[in-house]
Amino acid sequence: MIRGKVVGQVWATRKARGLDGQKLLLVAAQDAQGAPNGRLIVAVDVLDAHSGEDVTVAFGSGARNVLRPGPENRDLLCDAAVAAIVEGAG
Amino acid sequence: MFLGRVAGTVWSTVKWPQTKGLKLLLVRPYRLGDVAPGAVRPGAEASEPTDDLVVCADTLDAGPGDDVLVAFGHAARVAVSEKLAPGAKPDVPIDAAVVAVVDRVEIDGEAGR
Repeated sequence: MIRGKVVGQVWATRKARGLDGQKLLLVAAQDAQGAPNGRLIVAVDVLDAHSGEDVTVAFGSGARNVLRPGPENRDLLCDAAVAAIVEGAG
Repeated sequence: MFLGRVAGTVWSTVKWPQTKGLKLLLVRPYRLGDVAPGAVRPGAEASEPTDDLVVCADTLDAGPGDDVLVAFGHAARVAVSEKLAPGAKPDVPIDAAVVAVVDRVEIDGEAGR
């Protein structure tokens, strides 16, 4: 997983069927000090995160487990998902 | 997934049969400084994407200049297999695919800083 800050949202009409109805957030990845490292990630959000909030993003099967706990979730189209809204880090 | 802009196309004739008929695009990912310039370089204006190119399979008929979302890994194979062979196992040998053609990106100015 990585830590990042929600900086925006993405909308698309023409998309793969597996993305229908999903909220897609733009997340700026952070370095060890919590500063943006320049990398941008688009993650599926089911936790209702908002711009300005710090989140963790899970990838791969970890991301699918956020949407539907496995193992029967390999039909899902999701490679990145908001896994937690961060309240503090030290 | 990542947000990027289609920069070109790749052709090939020698390839795995499962990828026959599959269009390959060159996509350049956006970095934070390209979409929220003030976050990285104070006063800088929004610019073209600057990251290294990624080769992606495309089933949505995206073209050069389009902003797209690209998924990696199993999600990419799920998206492509659904179009090439619905119901079949997602065994196509690719690891990146265009999964959406973007209409709108909204950046929160404050959050981007």
